Amino acid sequence: MISVDALIEALRVEGYEADRRLATAVFLALQLQRPLLLEGDPGVGKTELAKALSLALGRVLVRLQCYDGLELREALYEWNYTAQMLHMRAASAHDQLSQVEQEVYQEKYLIERPLLKALRAPEPGAVLLIDEVDRADEPFEAFLLEYLGEFQVSIPELGTIKACVTPVTILTSNRTRELNDAVKRRCLYHWMDYPERERELAILRRQVPHASEDLTQQVATFVDRLRSAPFVSAFTRAPGIAESVEWARALVSLDTLIIDPEVVSDTAGILFKQREDLAALEPLMKELLAPVDEASLS
Amino acid sequence: MQLGDVRTGKWPENILGFARALRRSGVPVDSSRIGLSVTSARLVGLAHKEDLSYALESVLISRQEDLEVFRQLFDVYFKDPQVANKLLAQMLPSAQGQDTSKPKKARVSDALKPQAPVWPVDPAKTDKELEFDAAMTASDLARLKLADFNQLGASEFALVQRLARDIRLPIPKVPSRRKVNRPRGAHLNWSKALRTAAQMDGEFIVLPKLGRQLQTLPIFMLVDISGSMERYARLLLAFLHKATAHAPRRDVMAFGTGLSDLNQAFKLKDPDMMLQGCNLAIKDFAGGTKLGASLQELKTHHAHRLIAKRSLVLLVSDGLDTGDSEQLEASLKWLKGKSRKICWLNPLLRFEGYEPLAKGASVLDRYSDAKMAIHNLTHLEDLAKAIKDLVQR
Repeated sequence: MISVDALIEALRVEGYEADRRLATAVFLALQLQRPLLLEGDPGVGKTELAKALSLALGRVLVRLQCYDGLELREALYEWNYTAQMLHMRAASAHDQLSQVEQEVYQEKYLIERPLLKALRAPEPGAVLLIDEVDRADEPFEAFLLEYLGEFQVSIPELGTIKACVTPVTILTSNRTRELNDAVKRRCLYHWMDYPERERELAILRRQVPHASEDLTQQVATFVDRLRSAPFVSAFTRAPGIAESVEWARALVSLDTLIIDPEVVSDTAGILFKQREDLAALEPLMKELLAPVDEASLS
Repeated sequence: MQLGDVRTGKWPENILGFARALRRSGVPVDSSRIGLSVTSARLVGLAHKEDLSYALESVLISRQEDLEVFRQLFDVYFKDPQVANKLLAQMLPSAQGQDTSKPKKARVSDALKPQAPVWPVDPAKTDKELEFDAAMTASDLARLKLADFNQLGASEFALVQRLARDIRLPIPKVPSRRKVNRPRGAHLNWSKALRTAAQMDGEFIVLPKLGRQLQTLPIFMLVDISGSMERYARLLLAFLHKATAHAPRRDVMAFGTGLSDLNQAFKLKDPDMMLQGCNLAIKDFAGGTKLGASLQELKTHHAHRLIAKRSLVLLVSDGLDTGDSEQLEASLKWLKGKSRKICWLNPLLRFEGYEPLAKGASVLDRYSDAKMAIHNLTHLEDLAKAIKDLVQR
């Protein structure tokens, strides 16, 4: 990528509307070959960015979903024990005992897991998505330090494996806990916020092309109000972009023309996933659906 | 300070100066990042101020809470006339009224001023206290151990405080999902077994095992600093600071009518400095208690400090809550769902026949996994044991 503008355009072609702030961060991550840490509430498009980026760059997407207790054999590599055992049995029958150890540690018995796969991806390399890194525990973060710093891993039986092409690495976090400072130091950082109304409109138009312009506008306005004061404090979590796109799709399939209280309460389960939030929505409905002018006056 | 002409080669210095100002405002910025910021400025070019701002932001910032400080400082440093005006107006009261932009964060103005030490300490005072401590003998210990902190004189109080600091609280360990080598573990260590077998000509003579690794629980402390807890809070803070110093993860917040973050203060090793840090951090000392509202604030702004249902919550309060009890109930329900155990440390438990009848106390009673008295030293010693029992229950 030559410039920030070129990157914005390339992402747009793949259906991802990035604002300039985000695009600058991604551009620098590409140029400096540094991992990019994306933090933000769920559903603001962190994972989607990695997908769009892999398409835009023509690189394969390698995804590692993190969870508590994630171990190296699930993240990096594992030996195919059964095959190795069979090999040993066969080898011992043929009287080549001294070579057995060498033979069982061949690449054909190595099972690649995402992190190793990303390192060994041939030209033009891979986009590595380490998703929800805050869900993994501290020991895994400590391991990531070496990986993200050098982009190499050592396998005792095989030696050190260095990246052919440094993978474009995206880490995402929902901030369910604070990440270690050492990990953050190795990454560029970007906080992803909910998009402003105009960007949300652009996303909706692109993701739900068969929705009428009028409906798209209504959805954007409604969701924008949900996310802004004074309404936002009534809910435990404001709906993200993923939810608003999903909601627009639902409204289209219900042949909705105008959003009214009845439609909203029928489909509210798409916007909110908590019983408390659904209950809180009901009394606010009238204000949320007030015409634009009236709301801006109040 | 202005953005220099590229040809004069002055701009790297400007960026360096900016990064250092950012560091002074409390944002953690290390030298490698400063180096990186100059490189990234070169990459995006200096044609648009906006691009430079975004580039520096992604390199120099690593926490959401620092974003606002960054943006304000960037505007001031790289001369947005409007904001510079406002900053000037803050210094010269007569110039006010011209500018209507947002008020600046104190951290931003401070970063642009010459620096003074953060925690000023009076050396004479520290010396005096050390002398006093050295004069104490072991025979005092037994007498004071059963004393009630509320009835101690000033000098005795200082001694008890020091004793309390020296009791260690062994934070319990629980099995984690991660596995390590254990001779009597439940799972086979395939990788090691194969490696040994390969060396033994393919024979499985030893079978190494894996077992669950033990993990220290993250600890989350919420200390009531309202009027009724005034005396205990200071002591408890000193005690908790010392007793949990070895905990790999601890978070401390104080609550009264709102939340105060004491983590910065707790990072200071010296307890006296820590208490001084707390004094600066706490704005509502000895006021009312609104636990419900404080927990709500915790939920909205600091929920990420509770770690995936592992945190052990130590709630230090007398339960005399003046806030909305419905809100308290909802917030406690949330807290219970987010943490492993809630342990309520209550100084009022010293009175025999104490019943949690106050509205706040009865709610707390329902949602806490254990209640413990904490009004004198013997109980502090019991506390360590009780917490261990609680977690392994």
